[in-house]
Amino acid sequence: MIELFHLTKQFDQFTAVDAISLRIETGEFFGLLGPNGAGKTTTIGMLSTLLLPTSGEIRIDGELLTRKRQDLKRKVSVITQEYSMRQDMDMDEIMEYQGRLYFMPVRQIRARTEELFAFAGLTEHRRKTIRKLSGGMKRKLMVCRALLTEPEILLLDEPTAGMDAISRRQMWSLLRQLNEKGLTILLTTHYIEEAQSLCGRVALMNGGKLNEINTPSQLIQNLGAYAVDELLEDGIHSRYFHERAEAIARLSSLSGQCTLRDTTLEDVFVEQVGKRLS
Amino acid sequence: MGIITILWEKWREFVRDFSRITMAALIAPLMYLIVFGWGIRTTMNGMPYLNFLIPGVVALTTMNGSFNAIAQNLNVQRLYEKAFDQVIISPTPLWQFIAGQILAGALRGLYAGAIILLLVWPIETGLIFNGLSILILFLNGAVFSALGIVVSFLARNHADVPRFSNYFIMPMAYLCNTFFSTDRIPHGAREFIAALPLSQTSRMVRGIATKEPVNLLGILILLAYLVVLTGIGLYFVYKKKNL
Repeated sequence: MIELFHLTKQFDQFTAVDAISLRIETGEFFGLLGPNGAGKTTTIGMLSTLLLPTSGEIRIDGELLTRKRQDLKRKVSVITQEYSMRQDMDMDEIMEYQGRLYFMPVRQIRARTEELFAFAGLTEHRRKTIRKLSGGMKRKLMVCRALLTEPEILLLDEPTAGMDAISRRQMWSLLRQLNEKGLTILLTTHYIEEAQSLCGRVALMNGGKLNEINTPSQLIQNLGAYAVDELLEDGIHSRYFHERAEAIARLSSLSGQCTLRDTTLEDVFVEQVGKRLS
Repeated sequence: MGIITILWEKWREFVRDFSRITMAALIAPLMYLIVFGWGIRTTMNGMPYLNFLIPGVVALTTMNGSFNAIAQNLNVQRLYEKAFDQVIISPTPLWQFIAGQILAGALRGLYAGAIILLLVWPIETGLIFNGLSILILFLNGAVFSALGIVVSFLARNHADVPRFSNYFIMPMAYLCNTFFSTDRIPHGAREFIAALPLSQTSRMVRGIATKEPVNLLGILILLAYLVVLTGIGLYFVYKKKNL
């Protein structure tokens, strides 16, 4: 279980994360959804202890997280937005280094590396140095590295940024499988589809604050499951309805160009923070 | 255990870049020995200048070897590769990371110093390098590895480490008992320069090499530098808000 209590991070006069409180249950797949600059990466930075909070605290299974808490850090793996790997090492070295940092026996590191490389299709590339890998392969390697230590909590910061559509779907499938096995996952993303497809609950984040936390379907239901878009001179205007019949009635009353569609998570976000996500 | 992990990482780096590391350690000291030792033949304090120079160059080489092995590398890992993030995230105690870096850096310094000693071995100088010399050179390397850690955390971009080298390491290389005795430096500056770690190392290693009496207070001075710089490094990894 991850708990954030009034977590705040300031950089000089700029408040990147503004007193957010949040509780993520064990085994949950939780999404932090927000535009660039919303404070998602800063939140992950504090959860991974790279950044220390200006105020507030983080608890893992009820225990206060600090840089000195080896036992808590042992439970967590992080896939950062940037590649965060030595460029001169090869894949095997990256895995061994990670395993050693987590005090795994070398034999276990090697056995698990075999499994993970086979699973990710990286076996034939294992001797390549990191600087020679494509972006997609680096991402896969980061996933293998994160899973090597069999964490209880996985923090993912924009894990599919820059991935092609097929690789993204593969990543989603993998994350679903891991979550079904009981892994607690906190994912930050600005891809609406990703959050809607994967996350059991979503927090909408903007300007360092959490706007609302709920399941994607409940967030949509609260706004209205049906959207009617009307194209006017100053752009598209959307109205939301709880009943389909109401939406059809509205559509019938309009004379200009208009459409009826299902409400998406993006609509919820736009209504709440007035900003497009991507 | 964490210390072993860092030593393993540095060992892999050493194996991978063996020829580059060796050449980098070799070239500058070799030039000093050729130009000042063989090229400009003279004496210093009544002894052949080469005999004066060799202990200083060995000390200088351990300083450079250790500092460069840590400062530039850690700086790149922290600012460019972000590989340092994984260390912070991991359960490896950060003091073990610092200790591992210092130990690995000191060993790299010793390796560089050993190359110079091997190089001058065939020359009949009568200089003595014993276990105590190695201990002092190791301590010197540890001090400059710790300095490398501090510099890498203070650096805000990739150019900062070479800049620091230009402002601090290079003047030390020339002034700290390497090419001439600090006794020749005017009062005021002399005491300051003599108290710097490389001056202490050169003085002690030279004293042992030439069988002169050695004031081992220098070892305590080196230890004091090591403690202070390690403390600053630990402060950074545990307390710095934004790594």
